[in-house]
Amino acid sequence: MSAFWEEGFENILREFLPDLPAAAQLEPDIILRDFGLDSLAVVGLLLEVESAYDIAFPDEELNLNTFSTPAKLWETIVRVRGSEVTVP
Amino acid sequence: MTTSAVRTNEGSTPTGSPVDVAAAMVPSLRRRAHGIDESASFPAESLTDLRQNGLLGLLVPVEFGGFGGSLQDFVAVAQTIAAGCLSTAMVWTMHSQQVDALVRYAPAHLRESLLPRIAAGEIYLGSVTSEREKGGHILTNAAPLQRRGEDLWVERDAPVVTGGAFADGFLATMRADEDAPTSRVTLVYLERGPIEVEARGEWNPLGMRGTSSAAVKLTGTAPHGNIIGQPGQFREIAVNSYAPLAHIGWSACWLGTARSALSDVVSLLRSAQCPSSVNPRSEVVGNRLARVRIDLELVSGYLHSALQEVERARSQNRSLDDPAMQIHLNTLKIVAAELTFGAVDQLLQLTGLGIGYRKDSPVPLERHFRDLRSAALNYSNDRLLAANGVLAFLDPSVTLLGR
Repeated sequence: MSAFWEEGFENILREFLPDLPAAAQLEPDIILRDFGLDSLAVVGLLLEVESAYDIAFPDEELNLNTFSTPAKLWETIVRVRGSEVTVP
Repeated sequence: MTTSAVRTNEGSTPTGSPVDVAAAMVPSLRRRAHGIDESASFPAESLTDLRQNGLLGLLVPVEFGGFGGSLQDFVAVAQTIAAGCLSTAMVWTMHSQQVDALVRYAPAHLRESLLPRIAAGEIYLGSVTSEREKGGHILTNAAPLQRRGEDLWVERDAPVVTGGAFADGFLATMRADEDAPTSRVTLVYLERGPIEVEARGEWNPLGMRGTSSAAVKLTGTAPHGNIIGQPGQFREIAVNSYAPLAHIGWSACWLGTARSALSDVVSLLRSAQCPSSVNPRSEVVGNRLARVRIDLELVSGYLHSALQEVERARSQNRSLDDPAMQIHLNTLKIVAAELTFGAVDQLLQLTGLGIGYRKDSPVPLERHFRDLRSAALNYSNDRLLAANGVLAFLDPSVTLLGR
């Protein structure tokens, strides 16, 4: 596990970054768009993340800023996961 | 360099607002449109008029000798020119789109040297965004800018460049450098002279035959200072200048042509040339005219609402990089393309084989029909629909235009 996020997160994210070489480290503050995450791919990433973590991003989190860097996206996932109430 | 916002047509009467200047061109544009279409030739005489009457500088600020026109002026002039000749209007609109990018993103030294020349009519700008490897997608590029000392070496092949063989300068998208991924795109100004322009291939399409949108190859050097905006950050220019100006400008052009078609048909129905098969008093004819009018009203209303949204964001220094605003601009382009073509199709149906379908008709509906068929293809509606589909996920509260 990275110091920044759980292991599975990086695997999900890398699938959407065609311009990030496999050997390169995924730094938390890189601009995802510069590594191939265009606005069409953002939606695929959103659906993948929501499914993987079984969460639903609230409307106010659904903006391009949320998907701007790995760190911002991971912080949002953690925040949403923490705030969701589990109904038994 | 003149600092006056009002220019004088060579040898003709003084002119007032940019729309008046454009309106004065319409009779000659209409006269030339048929020949341009027949021969698929670039509207060189009309471009000369645009150079001389200052309209190449509509969006150039007054301090640099231009009209200092607003986006409202841009729309009004595009519509007016398109009432005379849609090919000329599209050529002018795409030039103006690039002027907007220069005004907003070019470094100060380039603005100071280039904008007065544009306002003076010396520089007509071509747009180079297409590439064989990727088609029309404007946010990726394969051909890289290469550093050669203080200069940049450019080898750029583009399959579709409107007016490419006639442009004096180009704004071209390039990969930021040889090591950059294709998503890091830089916009650069290239001028004929230091850049060799090789026209390749022919332009013999169904419609928009005057736009001379054949392939070109650009080869040569440009100073490093010709980079527009931040290296690798063309996306910001695309989102805030290229895309809104293209969608607004093209929609205005298509609307201008469809509007002139309706106006011409209404005049025809009141004239002695009205074919006996068409009864202007009949309910069928009335309904068809009403439907066409509705389509044009819808496009005009949406166009002006989208325009206001862009102006508001610009006046507040807000980026247009917002899913709802992008949906609105894409919607404008899709709706304008579909409804203006549909309007002309309905007018063709109304006037029938005897008038509408003929090349020698007093109303050039047949040409408009072929020209406007390109609207859904020019930055394809299919691609914009796909984009709006995914953008819908980023605007789950459904922020409608004009809310």
